[in-house]
Amino acid sequence: MSFLDREFLSGCAFLLPLVIFISALILLPVLGTFLDSLQRDLPYLPTAFVGLDNYLAIFRDGGFWDSVRFTTLFVLVSVPLEVTLGMIIALVLNETFPGRAALRAMVLIPWAIPAAVSGRIFELIYNYSYGVANYVTHLLGVGPVNWLGTDLGAFAAVVLADVWKTTPFAAIILLAGLAAIDEDLHRQAQVDRANFVQRFFKITLPVLKPVVVVTLLFRTVDALRVFDVIFVLTGGGPGGSTDAVSLFAYTYYAAGDFGYGATISVLLFFVALGFSLAYIKMARFGEELK
Amino acid sequence: MREERLKKILLAAAAGLTSIFCLAPFIYMVLTSLSGNPDFLLPTKSFTLTLANFTAVIFSESAHFMAYLRNSLIISAVTAVASVFLASLAAYSLTRLPLPGKTVLLLSILALSMFPPISLISYLFKIMSGLGWVNTYAGLILPYIAWTMPLSLWILVSYFAQVPMDLDRSARIDGASRFQTLIKIILPVAAPGVFSTALLVFIFAFNEFLFALMLTVDYRSRTIPVGIALFEGIHGQIPWGEIMAAATITTIPVVILTLIFQKRIVQGLTRGAVKQ
Repeated sequence: MSFLDREFLSGCAFLLPLVIFISALILLPVLGTFLDSLQRDLPYLPTAFVGLDNYLAIFRDGGFWDSVRFTTLFVLVSVPLEVTLGMIIALVLNETFPGRAALRAMVLIPWAIPAAVSGRIFELIYNYSYGVANYVTHLLGVGPVNWLGTDLGAFAAVVLADVWKTTPFAAIILLAGLAAIDEDLHRQAQVDRANFVQRFFKITLPVLKPVVVVTLLFRTVDALRVFDVIFVLTGGGPGGSTDAVSLFAYTYYAAGDFGYGATISVLLFFVALGFSLAYIKMARFGEELK
Repeated sequence: MREERLKKILLAAAAGLTSIFCLAPFIYMVLTSLSGNPDFLLPTKSFTLTLANFTAVIFSESAHFMAYLRNSLIISAVTAVASVFLASLAAYSLTRLPLPGKTVLLLSILALSMFPPISLISYLFKIMSGLGWVNTYAGLILPYIAWTMPLSLWILVSYFAQVPMDLDRSARIDGASRFQTLIKIILPVAAPGVFSTALLVFIFAFNEFLFALMLTVDYRSRTIPVGIALFEGIHGQIPWGEIMAAATITTIPVVILTLIFQKRIVQGLTRGAVKQ
């Protein structure tokens, strides 16, 4: 056996645990879900192959399209908000001022708290009679808002809770991008008498554009699969108005209808995969190995 | 200079607003957990300081919060150690050994980590039911190891790539096996990176929700996020004080970890998400 062959074999041996875990507990379940989407898989009935029947049924299901509409709106509103706020926080953290280290640490707190727990905190914040959200609206001279009981209120509530939880992540990624920008660029612009707003739009933003796109895509993939915060905060309500696609699929799983739930999951899988591949391409991963 | 002053004022305002934005819900949670009544903001009510919510949560057998917390700590810790150890074997192979198609493999693994968890949970539930592992530690730890491995692998590859090849070459010449080289040379040199990776995996496992919701049934394996999410109380009214006390007990360790190791966490996160 040649030296190269031995190297190759030990390389494979070291990869084995990873390959086994990922094949058995990620790839196999995904394939199983694909298979399930082609089956009638209900409790107390024999499982039967039904071809694309589930898919045809889904496309005629109003509830499914409602969940698609909600998830699309959720992504379109929350992701730009998160990246914009994240950008502002990143710009602040990129300056030198007393207390910067403390602020940098504070920003991580919403990220570190489990989404299910922050969902519970926001549920109390939105409490109609004594939550702090309506305390603030009262101070502002607006009547109490029925946050979790109306369609618009629940949408705003869910977006706000998600923005709170995930903006720090966007800020951290953008800050890493900002820190890498050449100081000389800014000094040159200062000599050219551009003010800091002009400098941001003319110099920082164009150079940072790839990082912004990557952050947008990464957050989009994550927002598409939103589950925890909505499950806790509204449970999809009121009247299904905040029923995200993941939650819609989960409802079927919880009721024992695995075939239909799997079909919804497969559709979400392909949409998320499209954005993931775009993200991986844009982030130019894998260059350090070459 | 007028612009400099304007910038300073804007900066101070933005920094102030950022800290309020990040801290306000957290402070509200702690205040409610310490209050005898959750409606202390009403003009007719006032704040009454008490530890009753904490004693209720810690000593109530029927609420099982402490069992949930223990489950969470054990499951997350085992996941962190196992995921990082197994991923470090793979990271060694990918940075040290001549394998064809490395980049493709690494990118595919990255794509796996972005799958929506809902697209595998139902079949994972069937696998775990078949094995009789629903509502056991193993039934949650094994999927968590698989689910966090892509993240571990990505971060570890970027750290291992920075360890000079000469170090392990000389160890190999001295007769060390590949496994010994990894354990005795590379892991210690990359220790700070390995530690940040383990910390991130711990936090991800600790915060995970959907798998824990589907794969656990009761206090024997249920984790704290699910326990808190499903806690509705027995008297009809939501016991906000107790829920917030449980939330406080849960988040304070994570928050302390985060504050102490913030530099490491930020480093790990940015390595996992974007290359500069």
